[in-house]
Formats: sequence, structure tokens, C-alpha cells
Amino acid sequence: MKIMEIAIKDLTRSFRSLFAVGMTIVAPLLLIGLIFLAFGGAFNGASDLPAISVGIYNADILTDTSILVEPLGANIRSMFVDESVQSWITATDFSSEMSLRSALDRREIGVAILIPVDFSERFLAGNRDTQVLILSDHTLTIAPQVAQNMVTAMLDGVSGGGIAIETILERQKIQGVQPGPEQITSLIDRYSAWYRDFQRDLFHNPESAALMMVAPTGETSSENPIQQMLGLMMAGQMVFFAFFTGAYSMMSILEENEEGTLARMFTLPMSRTTILTGKFLAVFLMLVVQGIVLLIAAHFIFNIQWGDPKMIVLALLGQVVAAAGLGVLLISFVKTSRQAGPVMGGVLTALGMLGGLFTANMNMPEAFNRLAAFTPQGWVVRGWKIVLSGQPASDLLLPLLVMLVIGVVMFVIGAFRFQRRFA
Amino acid sequence: MNAIEVKNLKKSFGSFQAVKGVDIIAQQGEILSLLGPNGAGKSTTISMLSGLIAPSDGDAFIMGYSVTDQPKSAKEKLGVVPQDIALYPDLSARENLLFWGKMYDLRGSDLKQRVDEVLEMIGLTERQKDRVGKFSGGMKRRVNIAAALMHKPDVVIMDEPTVGIDPQSRRHILDNVKELNRQGMTVLYTTHYMEEAAELSDHIAIMDQGKIIAFGTHDELIKMVGEQTRIDLTFNAEVEAIIPAWKEIEGVSGIDASDGKVTALVDDSNQALPRLLEVAAQGGVRILSVDIKEPNLESVFLHLTGRALRD
Repeated sequence: MKIMEIAIKDLTRSFRSLFAVGMTIVAPLLLIGLIFLAFGGAFNGASDLPAISVGIYNADILTDTSILVEPLGANIRSMFVDESVQSWITATDFSSEMSLRSALDRREIGVAILIPVDFSERFLAGNRDTQVLILSDHTLTIAPQVAQNMVTAMLDGVSGGGIAIETILERQKIQGVQPGPEQITSLIDRYSAWYRDFQRDLFHNPESAALMMVAPTGETSSENPIQQMLGLMMAGQMVFFAFFTGAYSMMSILEENEEGTLARMFTLPMSRTTILTGKFLAVFLMLVVQGIVLLIAAHFIFNIQWGDPKMIVLALLGQVVAAAGLGVLLISFVKTSRQAGPVMGGVLTALGMLGGLFTANMNMPEAFNRLAAFTPQGWVVRGWKIVLSGQPASDLLLPLLVMLVIGVVMFVIGAFRFQRRFA
Repeated sequence: MNAIEVKNLKKSFGSFQAVKGVDIIAQQGEILSLLGPNGAGKSTTISMLSGLIAPSDGDAFIMGYSVTDQPKSAKEKLGVVPQDIALYPDLSARENLLFWGKMYDLRGSDLKQRVDEVLEMIGLTERQKDRVGKFSGGMKRRVNIAAALMHKPDVVIMDEPTVGIDPQSRRHILDNVKELNRQGMTVLYTTHYMEEAAELSDHIAIMDQGKIIAFGTHDELIKMVGEQTRIDLTFNAEVEAIIPAWKEIEGVSGIDASDGKVTALVDDSNQALPRLLEVAAQGGVRILSVDIKEPNLESVFLHLTGRALRD
């Protein structure tokens, strides 16, 4: 009972401190809020980018002798008018190059795609002079890049297809088989159909694509990439501030030592273990409260879909144990609350960076990921990535186990040091 | 039964012996003052009594319970008022008292009633909802005392509770101590203000350099000085060089000097004063003031140690 009373008193004091509330709850939400607003987020959760307005003039036609069934220009155009991209690309056909350029000048469109007359034939013939011209409003940055990437991906696929067909023909030639024109046309058609489906799946249905995306592929996150990015960033910030909160809460033992209230408690009819346990419990409770508040707030404010509730509980448990353990251990090495500030700031920021908390939404080099495995923060954020991506619970077991073991070991060492200091 | 019994209590910090075998007895219901200059070992002694630090040797008993072998039972009988304010500044006076009451296992209506009683006693009922951090030094001192009284202890240890506060708050605290005593509590009161010790105490233990150098009632201690008179002199310059000459004067039994102020303990002020002034004149210093006083605890300390008990 006394343990709980000590913990409740510590929590009361923490929540009366503007600094503590700011660093525990407000700062992480504020940081993500700024990013959310920067991406045009709205409080109803519809935080999509504004649609890209694309104009297309396709002059590409096939000659009578072409081996293609459909010109490449038509394939390029179909990518931009496909119904699967209509939520973020608005494509308009133009009848002439002049009308296309005029529309761009009047800013009726953001990106103009100009496909020349004999593009298919010249491209397949390996003519390097031929090109799809992409013009854009000079104030735009993302939209032209998106259009360029889509066209490049399409043409890379065609080139790849050409190489594949040449390889097949060479192989058949070695085997003494001479394919007829129908066979070649059939191969091209099959490849074109496969590549079109592949591209479509890769963009819009990645779980069924032959090439699996490594980035989070959960049902919800794949529907909204900004939400997915915000989720990862929020997880990174939540973990960073959780570790800060763990250390800050434990710092109250140094403050009580300086205020004289710890000594006063030692004159009471209870053991020092009871007093220290109360202080430790306060750290755990503070971390639990912080985690729950941030998870709920991020869900309702930024529409972040955290995933399976059971997985969330497990990840939060790991986070609380790891953050409390490091907090207790870190503060056990510090003598005064004045020392604690710089030590906490320095150590936790360094570990946070190494743990990948500030790059949670980026694909980092493998060496960096290996380095993150040496920090508790790295394992905690790894756990949240698994939860956010909707992976099965079995994937979370290893990170959770590591979090718990690291947390408990650090906690035991820290608690032992405190026991010895105040014995 | 003795409320407090201290037997050959010792404490060393490395090679430094802060308390060198202290023996004290306080009867139930009395106020015992522990008087001594700063650094005499008073706070170390009461830190051992209150279970904050372990004795190097010896033992102490609170209401018969050993502080080393039965610390929990001893602490249940004890309320400790630390020298520094030991409260939570961001909690209100009432919240502070509720917390400390809970730490003494008080709960529910008993707790609330007790908080009301102690707030009434320290005169802060009206300010109970204000945060302690906003209080004046005197008000904080009063809450500091109240927190130690939540469980109605048999013995209260107060470590210099009036340091650095205004006269009005000091008066209030001294009255509180007397009231507690009237309610039957035994009080161990440490101070270096001899006036407080003289006003409050049934017995006084004078401590210096880790030892009890005198113990008795106020009158018993004054008698140790005999019929001697204390003379306070102020000069216009440092007088350290003249002290040996003053000590040679017949009838001067103790002398202490610093910053041009001199305290002398003499058998007969009529005979000694002219000689003191004569020696001062020969030493080249000019007298600024003379004050002749009846013997008091200051005189006792001077008599016993040859030094003044200064604030």
C-alpha cells in the first residue's frame, strides 16, 4: 500500500510539472503534428497529397510491320489513366503538342507528357535520340518526379522484355529451333501482359506482386502511405520520449535526496526497499500512462492505425520495461539532478540516433540496422515496426524477448546500485 | 520508562570521530535540549536516533526499542523534524500532510481528522490548499513540524527547527513545542540558541566536539559557573594579541575573543573590569562598549570550554 502511495505521489508531482508533461506527452505529439500538417493532413484523417494533374499528348502509332500489338505510347498513357491511380493522378488527353503546352502554361495541368510520333519503333530499334518529353510547372517538385519515375519504370520494363525475348530466341537458335513470327508476337504479348499486371500489382496490390515490398505492407498502411510514414515516425518519437520519461521519472529520486524528503522517508517505519520500490513503480506507471496517451492521441489526431490491440499491448510492455530499465540504470550513475540533465540528454539522444528512432520511416543501410540492434531503442522501434506493418505475433516475439531481457537486466543493476547507495 | 536512552553512542566517518560516546537519558513527557555550537555533533547524534545513519558503536532506545535491533518499532514511536525543510513544494500543505500521514499507516477519516488537527495547531487551516512552495520560510517550518506529528508520536526529535525564520514564526514554533509537551510528548530539541534551550527545557545537555560536556536542569548548569559574572566588551580593533595578557589577570576564568568582541567570565566584575580595560589600553585598542551580564548558558559553555557559544 505504501509503495503505491509513494508511486501516486510521484505521478501527481510529475503531472503538475509543465516541463514533465511537455516532454512526456506534448513534445512527441507536437513534432508529429508539424509533420502531419506539412503533408496537408486534415483532422478527419484524409491526409492524401493533392492529386497530380497530368496532360498527355500521345502521337505514337505503329507501322504495319511492327511486331507490337499496341504502341508503347498507349501503354504509357494507360498507366496515367488507369482507374487504380485516379485517386491521386488526374490525366487529360490532348490532341496536339501546342494545346498540351498551352494547358501547361495556363497551369491547367502540372505535368505534360509528350510522346512522339514513331516512339515505339525508334525505341525498340535502340535509337537513343527518341524520348518521351516530360514538361512541368517549375514550382512543382514531387509531381514531375512521380511522372518521370512511372514512365522510366514502364520503359525499363520494355527494355527488360526486349532483352528477355532476345535471350529466348538465342537459346532456341542454339537448340536448333527457329521460331516463327507468330511465336515471337505471342512471346511479346505474354511479356507485355505480365509486365502490365506486374506494374499494377507493384503499385496498388503489392501483397500479390511477384516482387514483395520490404516496407510495411499492412492492409491499412498500404492504403495510405502518408499514414504509414506518420505511424513509423510517431513510433520513433514515442520510443525516444519514452526513454527520456523513464530517466526523467527516475531522476525524482535525486531531487528527493536533495530536497531532504528522501531522508525524511528513511526515518519512517518502513524499509528502504519499500521506498525504492515505490519510486520504481512510479517510473513504470508514468511510462504506461505516457504510452497509452500517445497511442490513443496519435490514433485520433493523426489517424494512425497501430494494428492488432494484443500486439500493441506486447510492444508497449516491451517499451515500458526497456525504458524503465535504462532510466533506472542511467540515473544510478548520476550523483545530482544537475548532472542528470546533460547525461540524460546526451546518452539518450545518442542511443536514440543509433537505435534509428529518427529514421524509423527510412530504409537505412544494413550496417546501421546492425548497429541499432546494440541499443534498447533499436529493439523497441523494431517491435513497433512489426506491429504497424501487421506482421504476425510470432515476428514480435524475438524483439519483445530482447526488450524484456535488456530492460530487466538494466533495472536489476540500477536497483542494486541504488540499494547500495542508500543502504 | 525512559523515553530516550542513549548509551555510549559513537559515530566515525573515516578517521574523523563525529560523536565520541554520548550518553543521554530523557524521561517520558519532558523536553530535553541538546545545546551546542555548529559542528558539535548534535545532528549526527539525532541522525542515529532517527535511524538515518547507523551508529559505529553503542545503541539508543526510543520508548524501550533499540534503534539498531528494532528500528521499525522505534520509528513508530518517533516523529522527526529535520533541520532543512523536507516537504514537497509542488503539493499543497494538506496534500503533504496526507502523504506523510499515509506513510504512518493512517487512512480514511482518521487521517483527515488528524490533518485538520495539525493544521489547526500550526495555524495554517486557511492556507491548507496552497502549495508549500508559495509559503514563507516560517510557514514551511510549521508544516515541516506538523508532518512529524501526524501519527501522534511518543517522542519528537526536532533538529534546530527555528533556524533562519522570523521572530513571529519562532514564537509560534516554541509555543507549539510547549503544547506538544503538555499533550504528553517527549521532545528532544537541538539548538544552538541558548535562549530557546533555557525557555523550553526540563533538562539540557551541552555538547561540544562530539561529547556531552554537561547535563542537568537550567539551574543546575548555571550553578556550575558559581557566582561568576559575564562581561561582554567591544573594541575598535582585533584583540587576539592581548588575550594571553587578559588570561593572566586574577579572577578571570574564561575568555573568548573574535572580531573585536570579547566575552570574559570573571569572579568579581568590580575588580576585573578595570584591569581588563587597562590591559586593553596597553595593547593599543579603544573600548567601544561594555555589557555586564548575570551567568547564563553562554557563561556555562564559556566556563566549560573557554570558548563562546556563538550563533
